[in-house]
Amino acid sequence: MEKINLRARFEKSGRAVYISHLDLMRTMQRAFKRSKIPVWYTEGFNPHIYLNFPLALSLGVVGRSEFMDFAVTEPADFDKLRDSLNGEMPEGLRILEIFEPLYENKDVGFADYMIDFYSSADSCETLFLLNKMLAEDKIEVDKRSKSKGMIKTDIKPHINVTETEPCDGFLRVFVRLPAGLKMNINAGVFTDAFAEYSKIEFSKIYAERTKILCLNGQDFK
Amino acid sequence: MVKDRIENLLLKVKSPSRYIGGELNSVVKNKSDVDVRFAFCFPDSYDVGMSHLGMKILYSLKNKRENFWCERVFAPWVDFEQLMRENDIPLYALESLDPVKEFDFIGFTIQYELSYTNILNMLDLAGLPVKSKDRTDDMPVVVAGGPCVCNPEPLADFIDLFIIGEGEEVNLELMDLYADMKKRGCSKREFLEAAAEIEGIYVPSFYDVYYNDDGTVKNVVSNNPHAPYTVRKRIVRDLDKVFYPESFVVPYCEIVHDRAVVEVLRGCIRGCRFCQAGFIYRPFREKNSDTILKQTKNLCESTGYEEVSLSSLSTSDLSAINKTLTQLSDYTEKENVNLSLPSMRIDKFSGELMEQIQKVRKSGLTFAPEAGTQRLRDVINKNITEEEIMQACRLAFFEGGYTSVKLYFMLGLPTETDDDILGIAELAEKIVDLFYSNPNRSRGKHIQISISCATFVPKPFTPFEFEPQASETEIKHKQKLLLDSVRSRKRINVSWHKYSVSILEAVLAKGDRRLCDTIYEAWKLGCKFDGWDELYRYDLWLKAFEKTGVDVNFYAHRTRAYDEVMPWQHLDYLVSKNFLIKENQKAREGITTPNCREKCSGCGVSKCIGGACFGKN
Repeated sequence: MEKINLRARFEKSGRAVYISHLDLMRTMQRAFKRSKIPVWYTEGFNPHIYLNFPLALSLGVVGRSEFMDFAVTEPADFDKLRDSLNGEMPEGLRILEIFEPLYENKDVGFADYMIDFYSSADSCETLFLLNKMLAEDKIEVDKRSKSKGMIKTDIKPHINVTETEPCDGFLRVFVRLPAGLKMNINAGVFTDAFAEYSKIEFSKIYAERTKILCLNGQDFK
Repeated sequence: MVKDRIENLLLKVKSPSRYIGGELNSVVKNKSDVDVRFAFCFPDSYDVGMSHLGMKILYSLKNKRENFWCERVFAPWVDFEQLMRENDIPLYALESLDPVKEFDFIGFTIQYELSYTNILNMLDLAGLPVKSKDRTDDMPVVVAGGPCVCNPEPLADFIDLFIIGEGEEVNLELMDLYADMKKRGCSKREFLEAAAEIEGIYVPSFYDVYYNDDGTVKNVVSNNPHAPYTVRKRIVRDLDKVFYPESFVVPYCEIVHDRAVVEVLRGCIRGCRFCQAGFIYRPFREKNSDTILKQTKNLCESTGYEEVSLSSLSTSDLSAINKTLTQLSDYTEKENVNLSLPSMRIDKFSGELMEQIQKVRKSGLTFAPEAGTQRLRDVINKNITEEEIMQACRLAFFEGGYTSVKLYFMLGLPTETDDDILGIAELAEKIVDLFYSNPNRSRGKHIQISISCATFVPKPFTPFEFEPQASETEIKHKQKLLLDSVRSRKRINVSWHKYSVSILEAVLAKGDRRLCDTIYEAWKLGCKFDGWDELYRYDLWLKAFEKTGVDVNFYAHRTRAYDEVMPWQHLDYLVSKNFLIKENQKAREGITTPNCREKCSGCGVSKCIGGACFGKN
């Protein structure tokens, strides 16, 4: 059977942020099945809808520009495909566009996040502490290693805070973090590090992944 | 808004998508547009409750009515419950996220005895008094249904009214009555009195229980002119016409039975004497193959599930089973949907059926001989022979290439002797030998047999309701004997259920109203999720028994005389007590009873439904 590889860019927000990565896979497969688009099934004893996510998103983080690969068995209009799928998406999941993939999974290199740190502290004070942390020689966090168990890792060289914005009740931080197969730092690693360093009890941390980029700095697509 | 408050907590708990709603096909209405709001509570975790078919049926049925809104509620797992209590978040329903305390009805479905403490805990978490007498007119009416309410007495203090039998019709009648009386500003008592006049509604506070000096029940008397002397269970007549959902709520997280389910028949023709479901769900009624196909299509298309399962007490007893399976597999194969067939009888295990089962997966086969010797299988009226078991295994090994078999047995059955226990081991050994006698067996392939033993729990409305449960010493002896008599230790693996769980099931299943205090006490001491090994606290239950003066032996280990008044005697499940006594006597003599399709044995059901269950009188 013909197999045409496609990539969907989608949004995951609202109640859907509580769907774990594994559950997202199932949720999407069921939506594909309901939509009746000519989706491609894996070949084998137990055929199932082929889906692949180039970069997983942590539970609780809003995704504004996420990616999902699938395939169809016959040529189809991308906008029509998108609309059929969106007709079956549960609350909080929305396909933004469908196209033929340009890059491969292994090309993923970075991700941009927008993170709001809510607390009763003055947001300028929070910003001061953030800058202080970023000025330290090292920012060490516990990271799980496959061979050595928990090890201390310095994440400082990998944190690239591009913009900060003290707001009423929260500090907004734009940060670029390494993502993908070679080096991956989740937003949670960064927010945990800051929470521990600043000793601020954040009442809420709101995180959005806004963009996924390639190792060469181009937008992933 | 509850939503904002829970969102902050969700990232701190396991599997948070269980607590926020918004799943596909969940029904959201505008609360100002509806007359009656019903909070359908399953007293266990989301993963378990969302797998329950009855809830899916009644949820869709009620929501189909424009003026009713039914929402789902589950017991939050202990991590989230703690956060809810710390942050003053009351129990809420998943569709609106509104506190269930604001609803008109709170309805529990009671599927097993081990969920009783969760009912109290959920009422408490809702911010309501757990006892009916302490709940005022401005609080919801608390109702309950499901198989366990065939003996509702241990829950009589907590539930305002019980719904006896099948719910499709009576739930709507009840809600219509409520809508009407709410408009007229009636009191809760007036509502309960009117409700008591509906067939199938049992209001426990309208009955007084008197006891004999020896502690047995003397009689149960109605204390209200609106409450009938006996309450008869409700049934629906025609399964092809009864409402069936066209869609299921599809969860995000994985649940126990994560698939579309089509109920194919209700009731059971078999009459296994230990099986409560086999008696309380009578009469046998089935759907025709076109109905089953239509309902399968509807559900698969609306959910996107990759698997559909046929549900019943004994699917192979469907009269048009082969036609049904052919029609279904034509559809499911085309759509890449797996068709799974649980609850197949060993004596009906044919090459055709095996082929169907194998299409899904070839992990293993499960059979339930229940007892190790023909004598004991006759006592319990299982009506399968050793030859049938061997024939099914031969087919599975020689034709199907199966290499593992799971066998279910019960220990502590009435009249059981050591020979019967030895018979379990012998049967398993014979199956091992059969496997290796296959001349075409590929080298290096071995058989794995799992023997899983439950402790027999005598249940109301069965011919064994008079029987005592075996004592702990007896069960320990039987377990050891079984282990010692298994020779092929490498090939045969034996496991059993915890005895302390089975004994609690027996006490609660056959208990009377005096157990209300015990359940209350156990819950106060911290018992909840009793069905979960890691949370089960038998030590606390023992304390509760002691504190409330309950003698476990009296409820679980005592033989009850045929003329003893059972605590549930004022409920009528259509099967006559005389029939149960007759069946008990036949069990003692080792005489089997033919299945209902072969010959009517006069259980009393056909008299109540005004005609024979199977076409002719």
